[in-house]
Amino acid sequence: MTLAMEVTGLTKIYKNGRGIMDMNLELYQGDIFGFLGPNGAGKTTAMKIMTGLMKPDRGDVKIFGASVLHDYVNAMKHVGCIIETAETYPYLTAYENLKLFARFYPDVDEKRIDECLEITGLLKFKNEKARRFSLGMKQRLGLAAAILSRPKLLILDEPLNGLDIEGMVDMRNLIKRLAEEEGTTFFISSHLIHDVELTCTRIGVVHAGRLVSVEYTDRILANYASLENYFISEVDRSGRV
Amino acid sequence: MAGFKAAFANELYKLMKRKKVITAAVLSIVAVLVGQAAVTAIQMGFGLRMAGGGDFPLVVLPLLTYTLLPMFAAFVAIDMFSGEFATNTMKLTLTRPVSRFGVFCAKTASLAVFIIGNLLFVMVLSMIAGFLFNTSPGGIGEIVRVVCAYVATFLPVFVFSLLVVLLANLFRSGAAVFFLSLLIYAAFHLAGIMFSSYSSFLITSMFDWYTLWISETFNAAKIIREFLIMAGMGTMLFAAGFYLFDRKDL
Repeated sequence: MTLAMEVTGLTKIYKNGRGIMDMNLELYQGDIFGFLGPNGAGKTTAMKIMTGLMKPDRGDVKIFGASVLHDYVNAMKHVGCIIETAETYPYLTAYENLKLFARFYPDVDEKRIDECLEITGLLKFKNEKARRFSLGMKQRLGLAAAILSRPKLLILDEPLNGLDIEGMVDMRNLIKRLAEEEGTTFFISSHLIHDVELTCTRIGVVHAGRLVSVEYTDRILANYASLENYFISEVDRSGRV
Repeated sequence: MAGFKAAFANELYKLMKRKKVITAAVLSIVAVLVGQAAVTAIQMGFGLRMAGGGDFPLVVLPLLTYTLLPMFAAFVAIDMFSGEFATNTMKLTLTRPVSRFGVFCAKTASLAVFIIGNLLFVMVLSMIAGFLFNTSPGGIGEIVRVVCAYVATFLPVFVFSLLVVLLANLFRSGAAVFFLSLLIYAAFHLAGIMFSSYSSFLITSMFDWYTLWISETFNAAKIIREFLIMAGMGTMLFAAGFYLFDRKDL
């Protein structure tokens, strides 16, 4: 199995003492990894370090063998991401936003931009400025930007934020289709545990900055009634320790 | 390099789409028109010849260099850094396959293009106005002097804008950066007057660097000395700005 992402000894402590501590993780190509944890557990911090938005105190992240710290350009060639919120340039249209991102990838042409707008249901709003978009539409545009380069690894922080029910189902199906057909690896954080249960093949639980467990979803569901029960049990156990 | 090219093209595209560029163009036209009206009024009212067709652009240049150009260069620099950090759109570029150095270079290069563009725009506009409204059009020599003056003006204004870039990476609030830039600009001018022997170390004192290029006696030694001071300042400000930009956690 090809190693898509390797996290070793990742540590980042903020002045208030919170952050992440000694995080180790291996992600294989085709995994749909659900990253769960209570608020403030360190999920976004970990994702920001993985995408180079933040520098760790210690440790490293390698994406398809390239270090985010030492070989950033090669590491990010294969990555698409939404971190914290799906931002867009409000003074540009949906098409112009994607056109800007397309310049970084030689293989992305006009056809691919339209394809991404079609996949995310934004084709009819192609020429509308992003400032007029609703939260859900901005989230869709963020997703279109993330999948634009056909990345091998997608890091998505709360990708279902602001989406309507139809949008959530579409997103779920898209994630499964990309993982099955194109072997895309996903690293997803979400508080919508039901959606994580339906979508993700592996689950990692982070609590108080530490990755307390990593397990396959089917094994979890063989031992627990639901992912929610597993999550609460792991967080409780970690809290007691 | 590919990442830099893409980031540079994107920065220019974003710049063109912002209202500040249009405002800068409109105010530049107003500056030329005001300058022309003043020259015409003095000629008609007092019978004094302020500028011929050829050197009218040199009347407009200080007006541009000391007011509009540094102000708009500061606005653009603040928008590019503080603005994008504040609206969280900086991460859109930083999560692409391009190094932070590439992004920083692309942003400062597009800031340079904005300054050059604005100078060229005013130069051409004031040349046209000069030839249309003034009676004694200059020859090729006049045009060369004007081009020299406008080209030379780029460097001090660009170095000043690098100072704003440094501040924009030091402080989060765009308003704070703008007012601090304004304060530094005024303080440098005042210090240049009060401590004239040290004025060559203040970037605002070099805004009239172009006068050395167009004076009757060409003082090469002074031109080179001021160029080296500005190049040194520019390099230090660029390096310090990049250091802060590179260390920034989003």
